[in-house]
Amino acid sequence: MKSVLFLILRRIGTVLLTLFLVSMVVFSLSSLLPGDAAQQLLGQSATPEAVAALREVLGLDKPGHLRYLDWLRGLIVGDPGISLANDLPVAQLVAERLPRSLLLAGIAALVSVPLALTLGIASAMYGGTRVDRFLNTLTLTMVAIPEFLVATTLVLVFAVKLNWVSALSYAPPGASFGQFIAAYALPVLTLFFVLVAQMARMSRAAVLDQLSQPYVEMAVLKGASLPRVVLRHALPNAIGPIANAVALSLSYLLGGVIIVEVIFNYPGIASLMVDSVANRDMPLLQTCAMIFCAAYLLLVLIADICAIVSNPKLRT
Amino acid sequence: MNDSNRIYGGMSRRELLAAIGAVGLGAGLGGALSLPGSALAASSIPRQGGRIRVACMSSSTADTLDPAKGALSTDYTRHYMVYSGLTQFDGDLNPLPALAESIASDDMTVWVFNLRRGVEFHSGKPLTAADVVYSLLRHKDKTVASKVASIAANIRSARALTPHQVEVELAGPNVDFPVILATSHFLIVPEGTTDFSTAPGCGPYKLKEFVPGVRTIVTRNQNYWKPGRPYLDEIELIAISDEMARVNALLSGDVQLVNAVDPRSIRRISASGTAAVQETSSGLYSNLIMRQDQFPGNNPDFVLALKYLFDRETIKRALFRGKGMLGNDHPVPPNHKFYASDLPVRAHDLDRAAYHLRRSGVGKAPFPLFASPAATGSVDMAALLQLSAHKIGLNLRVNRMPSDGYWSNHWMKHPLSFGNVNPRPSIDLLLSTFFVSTASWNESAWHHPGFDQLVIAARGEADEARRRQMYVDAQVMIHEHCGVGIPLFFSFIDGFDKRLQGMGTIPTGGLMGYSFAEYVWWNG
Amino acid sequence: MNLFRTLRLSGSIGLILVIFWLAVALAGPALAPHPLGEIVDYDVFLPMSSTYPMGTDYLGRDVLSRILYGARFTITIGAAAAIFAGILGTALGIFAAVSSRMVDETLSRFMDALSAIPGKILALVMIAALGSSVALLIMIIGVSYTPGCYRIARSLAVNLNQMDFVQVARARGEGRFYLARVEIFPNMIHPMLTDVGLRFVWAVLLLSSLSFIGLGMQPPDADLGSLVRENISGLAEGAPAVLMPAVAIALLTIGVNLLIDSLRGQAKTATGEV
Repeated sequence: MKSVLFLILRRIGTVLLTLFLVSMVVFSLSSLLPGDAAQQLLGQSATPEAVAALREVLGLDKPGHLRYLDWLRGLIVGDPGISLANDLPVAQLVAERLPRSLLLAGIAALVSVPLALTLGIASAMYGGTRVDRFLNTLTLTMVAIPEFLVATTLVLVFAVKLNWVSALSYAPPGASFGQFIAAYALPVLTLFFVLVAQMARMSRAAVLDQLSQPYVEMAVLKGASLPRVVLRHALPNAIGPIANAVALSLSYLLGGVIIVEVIFNYPGIASLMVDSVANRDMPLLQTCAMIFCAAYLLLVLIADICAIVSNPKLRT
Repeated sequence: MNDSNRIYGGMSRRELLAAIGAVGLGAGLGGALSLPGSALAASSIPRQGGRIRVACMSSSTADTLDPAKGALSTDYTRHYMVYSGLTQFDGDLNPLPALAESIASDDMTVWVFNLRRGVEFHSGKPLTAADVVYSLLRHKDKTVASKVASIAANIRSARALTPHQVEVELAGPNVDFPVILATSHFLIVPEGTTDFSTAPGCGPYKLKEFVPGVRTIVTRNQNYWKPGRPYLDEIELIAISDEMARVNALLSGDVQLVNAVDPRSIRRISASGTAAVQETSSGLYSNLIMRQDQFPGNNPDFVLALKYLFDRETIKRALFRGKGMLGNDHPVPPNHKFYASDLPVRAHDLDRAAYHLRRSGVGKAPFPLFASPAATGSVDMAALLQLSAHKIGLNLRVNRMPSDGYWSNHWMKHPLSFGNVNPRPSIDLLLSTFFVSTASWNESAWHHPGFDQLVIAARGEADEARRRQMYVDAQVMIHEHCGVGIPLFFSFIDGFDKRLQGMGTIPTGGLMGYSFAEYVWWNG
Repeated sequence: MNLFRTLRLSGSIGLILVIFWLAVALAGPALAPHPLGEIVDYDVFLPMSSTYPMGTDYLGRDVLSRILYGARFTITIGAAAAIFAGILGTALGIFAAVSSRMVDETLSRFMDALSAIPGKILALVMIAALGSSVALLIMIIGVSYTPGCYRIARSLAVNLNQMDFVQVARARGEGRFYLARVEIFPNMIHPMLTDVGLRFVWAVLLLSSLSFIGLGMQPPDADLGSLVRENISGLAEGAPAVLMPAVAIALLTIGVNLLIDSLRGQAKTATGEV
């Protein structure tokens, strides 16, 4: 177990390096963007004098790399700076949105992951049978519909026609359990559609791959039953790729849900980041990127740990 | 046209004072301010109470409580909820007295405002002349980054004559000054305010909660200076950027009022039985900009060819389901009192377009045309224009740009692009902002001899008939020579729950010119 | 062990669908009854009729014509992007697996950094910075799926690298690139093909998501996803203008997946695996 611990520690070390890399990537990408916060804030009313004056107020007259270093220095001591768009502390803006994003992501993951894995593994166990074909077609169809169509259809049917749930996913503070369900049902269902197919299909593929290995054939020849072969032999070895697929899918839940946030008017962190791009609000953009990156790295780390723990050969 | 407008023409200063004072008195005491729009007649008697949720179209983390910085419909709406102005609009965009009980000017250059007494800000601080002076002059401070800095540049000075009287001197005569003061940017804030986080206004509602890009909640100001108003207990203002989602939220009962409804959704809303739409005919337009300082827009025949290529009827019918008024390549909408009604609307005429294209000799090479969802309808208009152009052998290449960054990077930056102009409360503002040669938004870099002087002369002309003639001349000049094509004036369409009553129209925008909050009541 | 084989019937259906869509992509524009952007009728969202087999869209344009054109864009962009991501991701993944720990680490961290930025936001920034064109769309979608391919490829390759037959070859003294090319790569083609198939589906869907946030094809061109998006207001009245492109996307993606699944099964039989 010592080597596992060492590996994990080393990984955490590299997380910081990657965070730094991301901030560099975001910085270079954003410096490609035409215009700056002053122009965006003034919009149609951006006369050269007004822009120059506002630049000075916002500190945009300093060169970009200096502002980046300022921001980085601030981040290290725990202060991600002030939003250029509205003078509010970035930390405050993020604190308002992040818990909501995590809540939605958490619920969606809680619903999607067990179901997806069950579907995928069942599909693999009954590979080639009617069950497999049915599940296969089901997941294929689910992935094949654009998510905004799924979301809009759900709203039309359940909110507008039937009036069972809210068209907006907004549960006021102190909402009852019923209100909570009504607010979250549709976005979670939409995300479920988007996520399940990827995870189910990748786990099916991973298990099937293991089933094609010679050691499985040995086990079968020895007379082990199919579920036993899958659960005892194939699955542990497939955990690596499965955990990977799950991690990738879940990382989508924070940054990729922009369409769900738009359609259900859910004030999450993805729309905060899109706004920050539109406003050329660099401190906010960078901070959001850091959050996505940290979340993603955490998921990947967990996936890797799963893989390492499940496959002793990787520990060397 | 009506009383409050005529008072600026040909009256002595004393008469003027009296006239406005009388209107002000009636409005202030009786609460019977002449109500905007026409939809109000059949409504029930206003009653107090109720809470509604309103969804605007746009909001972002750049949302602001500072009226000088308002940029989006949600901002204007929020500002009119918590602040009051010196004047406010009626349904025909005439200025009515508000915090200014009466207004007077002899020469349209020096204006004296007599402030209403007994008005208090939400904090309890009484309104004084110093607040008004501060509110007007802060727009001239570059660090404020006011959206109306260029308009405020015409204010030469402002000073308090007495604690309830303010004198403002303009750089030149401007009949429309009281109109300008009714816009949301000029709403009044307490002297010295730099932190707007509590929204320290004296408007009909008090701020309860504000989260940029998420929501604004306001509660009734019991101490509002119009007795009996406002009617609602609480309003929650949110934004739903997706039109379909906005309409769905209205139909599912999650919100009670939405703006920016697509004309294609009207059928659905009307069929619902629970909701209805309010159309506001306005001066809102998206226009083709042909830069006259660049090839090919510098060729007058090319410009005319493109103007003839616009299939205005099809744009109105196919893109806007018939909601809108045909434009005539000048910025004055047909329902305006100064509209040049004798000037026939330019027809969709491929032969003439082909003739002018041939005469221009600019060739058929692909000309890039920039459009964006940021300029309403421009992407589809560009596609239609491309199709018409194709028929006369002219090759236009549509470049759809994302809304993000369109105004700073593409608008007016290319030989051919689309712009979008929100209604302005007066023709003078419209012309001096977008058409005079020195305007920073002179979209097509247009210079026409005599036009600038005409605009300045009309600004100071108190006689309405002479003013009208000047504006008609200006329209003809723009129609004939300017490098902008204006095919259609759009309507603002709001959708509302039928239990929400008192909705009317003020053609500066949807949601009663964004000031619905003080007019509507809940009958549920 | 035909238990693990996918049925041939589904493979044939997949093949038929893929051939059908390839034909549409090639010949569609020639078959379209109307030019791409022409408004053919005053009425919008018309139902199916003999005049307009798939009705009219939100502007009164012929939906059938728009789908015939749109399929070409969707297939070209989706396939190019998925293949781009698949090739780049697999190559880098194998490279990382057989390289030194240092190279592996660096590459993996860089991929992490890239994939930590959500695809749609990456696209938003790049399109805002560089403008929108078909080539750029392919690149953006390809790049945003490369880290995903990379992770899966690397994970597979690392696993394979530990397998006995690779160890045997290594003991034989084979070089790293021989191992990668001969021992590792052939054994991961199938899962990677599955992955690319899924990526194609995702690329098609990302393309339509981009159109949702106002990026994507230049009008009057439109990919199938944009067709769904631009007609979404017809959904409440069940207009074919919104349903038909969605069905087209579904048939296309399902076809590709069925075919890939089936090829996977057949390849196994052919190489005598299992």
